[in-house]
Amino acid sequence: MTFIVTDGCINCKYKDCIEVCPVDCFYEGENMVVIHPDECIDCAVCEPECPVDAIKPDTVDGAQFWIDLNKKYAEKWPNINEQSEPCADREEWANKPDKLPLLSEAPAK
Amino acid sequence: MSVAVLQTKPEEFPIPEGVFAETVTEVKHYTDNLFRFRTTRSDSLRFRSGEFVMIGLLNAKKPVYRAYSVASPNWDENLEFFSIKVPNGPLTEHLQKIQPGHTILIRKKPTGTLVNDALIPGKRLWMFSTGTGIAPFASLIRDPETYDKFEEVILTHTCREVTELKYGQDLIKEIKDDPLVGELTEGRLRYYCTTTREEYPFMGRITDLMKSGKLFEDLGVDPINLEVDRGMICGSMAMLNETKEILESFGLEEGARSKPASFVIERAFVG
Repeated sequence: MTFIVTDGCINCKYKDCIEVCPVDCFYEGENMVVIHPDECIDCAVCEPECPVDAIKPDTVDGAQFWIDLNKKYAEKWPNINEQSEPCADREEWANKPDKLPLLSEAPAK
Repeated sequence: MSVAVLQTKPEEFPIPEGVFAETVTEVKHYTDNLFRFRTTRSDSLRFRSGEFVMIGLLNAKKPVYRAYSVASPNWDENLEFFSIKVPNGPLTEHLQKIQPGHTILIRKKPTGTLVNDALIPGKRLWMFSTGTGIAPFASLIRDPETYDKFEEVILTHTCREVTELKYGQDLIKEIKDDPLVGELTEGRLRYYCTTTREEYPFMGRITDLMKSGKLFEDLGVDPINLEVDRGMICGSMAMLNETKEILESFGLEEGARSKPASFVIERAFVG
C-alpha cells in the first residue's frame, strides 16, 4: 500500500507533504514531486495536506499508472526531506486538469 | 523482509543515522495483547502533543519501523507509548519482549494530524478512540494547551473487553493528581468508555451510540454541531470512516495541519 502523487502537482509543488512525511519518501523533479512506493508506509498524513489534492491512495481508479510513474521518477530524482519554495506560478496552475504532458523529466536543481 | 531477532547484544548492530536511540525505563503489560512502555527522551526530540513517531529496534542492519503515537505530552521529559502485540508482527513480535535498559530507535521526524493546530477554535473537543487509538489522546489530554483552546474535552474509548480499557481508566485517575494539568482538567475533562463484547455498564460501538443519540444523552450534552464541537478520531479503519461520515452529517469538515477545519483523523497504524 502506498500513496501516489498525480499530475495535479505539476507546476505547483506546494510541498506541504514534504514537511509531514515521517519516512522522507518524497523525491523532487523540476516541476513535480513523487512518492517512492516502496518507501511509503501508507500513513496518509500527506494526503490532506496537499492544497490541490494531488495525493491519492493507491485504491483510486487508474492508480497503477501513477504508482509506476512515481516509482520511475523516485529512482531518478533526488530525495527531498524539507519543505522549500513552491513553483513561482503555482496559483495559475493549481486547479488546471490534465497536466501530465507538461511533466519535466529533469531532476530538481 | 528484514530478519529481526530480539536484541541480545546491543553492540552487534550500529545505531543507524538519523535516529534517536532511547532507553526503555518501564514496561507494563495490561493484557495478552496490550502493553505500555516508557523511554528516555533526547533533548532535541521535539514533537507536538498528538503526533506519532517511527519506532524500531536495534536488532537488524535495516530495522523495521512502525508508526506509534507518542502517548506522553510534549512537556514530559520521558516518552510513553501504548502498543498492541501482533502475532508475527514484524515489529511488535519483538517489541513486546522489551525490558528496561533495552534500546528503542526513534526516527527524527514526529508528524501527524491529531494536533490542536489542525482544528479551528471551538468550545468542546471530542476525542474518539478505539483500542490503542487512545494513545495520541493520552498525550493531548495531558497538554495544558488543549485546555487553553477548549472549554470542555470529551474522550471516548471503545474496546472489545473490559481489561482493554484499563490503560485509559488509569490515565484518567492519575491525571487528577497531575501537578501541571490536574486542576485544568477538573470538571472539563470527561471520559466515556464502552465495550463491544464483554458485559459492561456502557456498551456498544461509538458510531452506533452517536447515531442513536445515546452518547449525547448519557453525557447530557447536545448532539454535535459546528458552532460548538470539534473532533479528533483515532481507531480502526472502519471506525475512522464511519465516524468521519457521522461528523460530516453533523456539518463538521475534515481538516489538516495546512488547512485547519472542524475535525481531524489519524490514519497511521501499528502493524
